[in-house]
Amino acid sequence: MTSPLLSVRNLVVDFHTGEGVTRAVNNISFDIPAGKTIGIVGESGSGKSVTSLAVMGLLQKPAARIPQGEILFNGQNLLNYNDAQMRAIRGNQISMIFQEPMTSLNPVFKVGDQIAETIRIHNSVSAKEAWDRAVDLMNQVGIPNPAASAHKYPHEMSGGQKQRVMIAMAIACEPKLLICDEPTTALDVTIQKQVLDLLHGLQQKYNMSMMFITHDLGVIGDIADDVVVMYRSNVVEKNNAKEVFYTAKHPYTKGLLACRPKLGANPRRLLTVSDFMDENGVEKHVSPERVVVFDKDSEAEKSSDILLEVKNLVTQFPIKGGIFGRTVDHFKAVNDVSFTLKKGKTLGLVGESGCGKTTLGRSILRLIEPSSGSIIYNGKDITNVYAEELRLLRRKMQIIFQDPYSSLNPRMTVSEILTEPLNIHNVGNGRKERLDMAKELFEKVGLNASQLNRYPHEFSGGQRQRICIARALMLRPEFVICDESVSALDVSVQAQVLNLLLDLQQEFGLTYVFISHDLSVVNFIADEVGVMNAGKIIEMDKATNIYKNPKEEYTRALLSAIPKGLVKSDLSALV
Amino acid sequence: MKENSLWKDAFKRLIKDKMALASLIVVIVYSLIAILASMGLIASDWAKEVGASNLPPSAEHWFGTDIFGRDVLAKVLHGTQIAMSVGLFTALIAIPIGVILGAVAGYFGGWVDDFITWLYTTFSSIPNIMLLISITMILGKGIFAVYIALGATSWVTLCRLIRGEVMKHKEREYVQAAGAIGGGHFRKLFLHILPNVTHIVIINTSLQFQFAIKSEVILSYLGLGVQGEPSWGTMIDDAKLELARGVWWQLAGATMAMFLVVLAFNLLGDALRDSLDPKLKGK
Repeated sequence: MTSPLLSVRNLVVDFHTGEGVTRAVNNISFDIPAGKTIGIVGESGSGKSVTSLAVMGLLQKPAARIPQGEILFNGQNLLNYNDAQMRAIRGNQISMIFQEPMTSLNPVFKVGDQIAETIRIHNSVSAKEAWDRAVDLMNQVGIPNPAASAHKYPHEMSGGQKQRVMIAMAIACEPKLLICDEPTTALDVTIQKQVLDLLHGLQQKYNMSMMFITHDLGVIGDIADDVVVMYRSNVVEKNNAKEVFYTAKHPYTKGLLACRPKLGANPRRLLTVSDFMDENGVEKHVSPERVVVFDKDSEAEKSSDILLEVKNLVTQFPIKGGIFGRTVDHFKAVNDVSFTLKKGKTLGLVGESGCGKTTLGRSILRLIEPSSGSIIYNGKDITNVYAEELRLLRRKMQIIFQDPYSSLNPRMTVSEILTEPLNIHNVGNGRKERLDMAKELFEKVGLNASQLNRYPHEFSGGQRQRICIARALMLRPEFVICDESVSALDVSVQAQVLNLLLDLQQEFGLTYVFISHDLSVVNFIADEVGVMNAGKIIEMDKATNIYKNPKEEYTRALLSAIPKGLVKSDLSALV
Repeated sequence: MKENSLWKDAFKRLIKDKMALASLIVVIVYSLIAILASMGLIASDWAKEVGASNLPPSAEHWFGTDIFGRDVLAKVLHGTQIAMSVGLFTALIAIPIGVILGAVAGYFGGWVDDFITWLYTTFSSIPNIMLLISITMILGKGIFAVYIALGATSWVTLCRLIRGEVMKHKEREYVQAAGAIGGGHFRKLFLHILPNVTHIVIINTSLQFQFAIKSEVILSYLGLGVQGEPSWGTMIDDAKLELARGVWWQLAGATMAMFLVVLAFNLLGDALRDSLDPKLKGK
């Protein structure tokens, strides 16, 4: 047995801040053998990214300190290396791919130059040779027409292409170890699948070792040899991938496996980590009724009243051109869309970025003005209502946005945020009563009323999304659009928020339009699913039928892109 | 339970920085002098002859006396009142103009933006000192003209900064969310966006303040500013002839007073930028 390429031994990382010392990584050990892929799984703040930065020698000093442990790379302890020695290793022997392809490329340089630069830092080659090698790398990572694309600037490429460029830069010097820090989290599921396949293929071709960091255990099912599960700065489980997937030992791992919605059969509410262990990390038994598969079709029709009807809706944006910025053409973001939605039901809209699903959602709410067609709400055409009528309509129709970080005003306290809709619509009698109403809903979404006077930045991503949900429900609307409302959250938190949305739907009789790029999420929450592509709904059916017999090629592609994770029949094995 | 507002956090960060704290104290001391002087509690007798002509600094007259036997310290203190009032009134004129025009331009865009952009480009294309001179010519010499002249020229930078920042914020989801709950333009712009850009106003004001003080000195030196009472500018103007005869204390007094407050405002402006920038939070 040869010694592993990378060996992390008893590593401890502390962060020293003004408020004291925080332990980010607590005595962890794992090995990465040559040519193997290790998945490191855990939620935000579990210490997985800190571990990767420690390996790269990129921790912020002097705030971060390593009081104990070793990082052995080829038998050498990297912690004893000085800056110059680390620079020689970084990008050359160990390289890294980051989460956010939109910001990891320098916007003022051509992508070809950026790849060539990486090559020239570590190899003495001519500019011409480096450029040719860059084009060759772009070809390897599957960018169409690489010779021409190398002359493009980052903003001229899509998110998936940028991530491919990042991969090309990372493998430019044929590193022995490639660290991928959530490389697919910011991408659509279909693109995620392509990028994962690409990484796996490159890893095989160059016989690299790979350290793959993710919050979603399902993602690495296909590519990891071994899995390390981190929870609250500790490694809680370490095993080969198959063992972890089929005979998970730690309750946290079981929770992670169960919380991702599966295609087809799911329990009525998704299982979450809290079903498997209590707050102190003590394992508990999952109650058997929690895993009973719920059949949506068996549910009796509650009502047949139509709440929303959209007819031939078109929303277009002008394309400006020429010296004087005249409108030369129109881009139809939403192109002739029609559907009906019954009271108390959920319509799922699924499609990739740029398919027009967000524009459709905002057009229905009249946050963007539709160009033609009609929106009939509760039997009344609302396409052309204005001023006071539109303002009253806002009480009935609400939206929950994607990004819980930018959708709350950072200068307002949570109680101000929650009472604002009441002030605008003059609901409730005076400040005291409005505050009580805010408090009630704040607790209903699972938060502690004693935190009402805090500012948004004091809450975690999942908590912020709960605040957004509470704000949307303050006016007791009938209809809510959830625009990618769980996409920015870790899978474990995503499951909690999905459950909350379902609970609230039941309690308040809400009607949802749920927009997402992830078909498995839509499939779980929606009664009916519309698949969107290029501004049109190309296929629409009951959620159960969409995955059983998809009619369109595009739907099948979306379905096959979903990470497998655990197969449904294994759900009961977790109890 | 901690309930830290962003402003409290920023203030804590600010006073942790020793240079910033020192600058803040200097600014507060200058402000106190200005307030006391304007109430007539100190330096009210600057015009009184207290000793012989051109006495060098001594224990009795720390900054010496001028050609008429007046106490230079009292003149410097009175000049502080003039300088601080110029800074204050300039800010009072420039901030509302800059903030409102900038916010409206950034928020509404279109022809409103085109018009306001045209307005401030026009203003900024005129050499500052020429505009100041022509305004004082029209309004007549005196401190009032200085307020107007400086106020009318120093809103441009603020307007440009606010416009850019508002443009950035109006696309944020929290502003769209305010629209979705039924909020109108006024609410979105003044209740949601503006509180998120006020830090720019504060940083900009601290830097504008010292620009206004310097400009007053230059205008008064050129004989266009304060008339009939001592300001740092007129003192420097008087001193230029005395310097050849070895009378350096009047020049030194006015220059030191100005140097200290301008430096303090500059350091404070930089420190404010660091402590109020949300991007540096958590560092």
